[in-house]
Amino acid sequence: MNLQDHISAAIDRAIDEVNAQLPAASRLTKTPDTVLFGREEGLDSLSLVNLIVALEKHVEGGCGRSVSLSSPEVMLAADSPFTTVRSLREYLATVLKED
Amino acid sequence: MKVLSGLLVSNFNTGNLARYLENDEESPKIECTSAPFGQVMATLLAPADNAKPDFAIVWTSPEHVSAEYGRCLDGRQYNADALRNEVDQFSAAITQFAGRASVVFVATLSPITDAVTSSLAGMRVGGASRLLAEMNLRLADNLRECRNVYLLDSARWTEKSGDRPRDPKLWYLAKVPFANDVFLAAVRDIKGCLRGITGSARKLVILDLDDTLWGGLVGDVGWEKLRLGGHDPAGEAFVDFQRSLKALSRRGVILAVVSKNEEHIALEAIDRHPEMVLRRSDLAGWRINRVDKARNIVELVHQLNLGLDSVVFIDDSPVERARVRETLPEVLVPEWPADSMLYPRALADLRCFEWPAVTAEDAARTEMYNSERTRAELLERVGSVDEWLKSLQLRVDVEEVGGANFERVVQLLNKTNQMNLATRRLTDKEFRAWLAGEGRRSWCFRVTDRLGDSGITGLLSLERQHDAAVIRDFVLSCRVMGRKVEETMLHVAVDYAQSAGLREVRAEYIPTPRNQPCLEFLERAGFPGRDGEQTFVWYTNQQCPLPEAISCTTERWRATV
Repeated sequence: MNLQDHISAAIDRAIDEVNAQLPAASRLTKTPDTVLFGREEGLDSLSLVNLIVALEKHVEGGCGRSVSLSSPEVMLAADSPFTTVRSLREYLATVLKED
Repeated sequence: MKVLSGLLVSNFNTGNLARYLENDEESPKIECTSAPFGQVMATLLAPADNAKPDFAIVWTSPEHVSAEYGRCLDGRQYNADALRNEVDQFSAAITQFAGRASVVFVATLSPITDAVTSSLAGMRVGGASRLLAEMNLRLADNLRECRNVYLLDSARWTEKSGDRPRDPKLWYLAKVPFANDVFLAAVRDIKGCLRGITGSARKLVILDLDDTLWGGLVGDVGWEKLRLGGHDPAGEAFVDFQRSLKALSRRGVILAVVSKNEEHIALEAIDRHPEMVLRRSDLAGWRINRVDKARNIVELVHQLNLGLDSVVFIDDSPVERARVRETLPEVLVPEWPADSMLYPRALADLRCFEWPAVTAEDAARTEMYNSERTRAELLERVGSVDEWLKSLQLRVDVEEVGGANFERVVQLLNKTNQMNLATRRLTDKEFRAWLAGEGRRSWCFRVTDRLGDSGITGLLSLERQHDAAVIRDFVLSCRVMGRKVEETMLHVAVDYAQSAGLREVRAEYIPTPRNQPCLEFLERAGFPGRDGEQTFVWYTNQQCPLPEAISCTTERWRATV
């Protein structure tokens, strides 16, 4: 598996974990345009925290590298990586390549 | 399906717990409300309002219960008397709160943050681990008389999360102290407890034999060569698995066998293998033949007078599991590990046999089923039901509900599905409160015959309304159905009403998916009147005689006695 595959797998597993807490109608799909966190749709703040913590765990498990996604700079950035699945994937690819 | 309402009371964020409880697929369905977190004592001591949840969960940190425990964690001197006093105050608040929910689950106190503690000193006097154990024991002692409060062991949940049960990131970001695996384990446990309390726990385990109860195919290798016990890891695991099953049977779970084998060969193995823990007397029934297992299960369940939704089917064969799962969706067919060394754990993980208390009837259940098998054989020999009942020398003892029989009566009320007029599900506290009302009487029925004591198997509750005795509970265990005990209960109801000068006895049948046998009884019992489709009326100017084959010890139910 290359880095992109590891990132996609980590995001999928984190979404699975969050979905286990959500009613069927609110569960996230794993498509690139799925909104994760936004003003009008997506996860509430507790679910976002769960997604972040699960994602950090799965990135470390899959890529063998730890990444911190829970800093206010990342969570509250104007171009937040948590907007969609695609933006999250791109953000993780950038951060992990920089490492 | 009824949705149960739950209230979560905690000093931490219970959002994740609530979400898992609500979105878990297993029954019962749940809707949760979380009390404001950090307001544990305020919530527990708040005045009663109209909202009475079906259950509440109180799960809080030890530091929140006791400031003295916090001092101990900080390495400061603490006052042991003050600490005990704090635990007593917490217990008293729970006891008071218990009147505001049907059932209260209290999680044992366990650390919610990673504190620096010493393993060497932890269990010494004054050590944090010892103190926590003492607090939990005191809590258990303080709450033991509170019948609708159950202290649940939270260590069972934290151990499921390996060496990292606490999650500092969830804690600092959201005030959620535990990793989600802990909440998932808690949800499985709590749902199992709710099923146990509401009478929907599984009652019957149907087992395959070859490579399930023992290793190897008995028809091929003979009982002497089976892998069972001895100096063999797999053989030891089969013995441990049987021990776990035997422990379940001592708590009232019934065991039976469905196996594709030659019956005499399989029974010989059960009788003669020296390492067998389960013997023929531990089995309430068996179907050992070459017939389809799903069909055998249906027949066996019918013979034992149980519903398919009481059954767990354990078989090592994925093909047999799939067949039963597809044909009989009500039966719980757990995925089963291929490795026998994992069998005892797989059984322990099922969480479908929760029991709030073990009664004498539970402990003797298999014996009762064995007696029942003998009775059925007798019926085949004797012919008519009346002759059969006479030959059994059936005796029914009628007791007022209360005292020593109360626990069993509540269990009966909550577990019985088929011969149940109204299927009222009440906790012991709710039932006690109901009984305290004016004009209410309740009797239980103990059934004995020459083959054995079936224990307390019937319940009749009446409420006086004007000139009528209204039957609130007409409950009879399926174990004694068809032995005229139901007619005896009706006789008691009518005889009581006559002695109390009432004009009629009314029985309103409330249908459920399972209580058709009760309707069938009411329809054939000879009620002289009907009020609409489902209310049966017995006018007291007509006698309702005690069945000839039954002997009743006293007539203590009469209002004039």
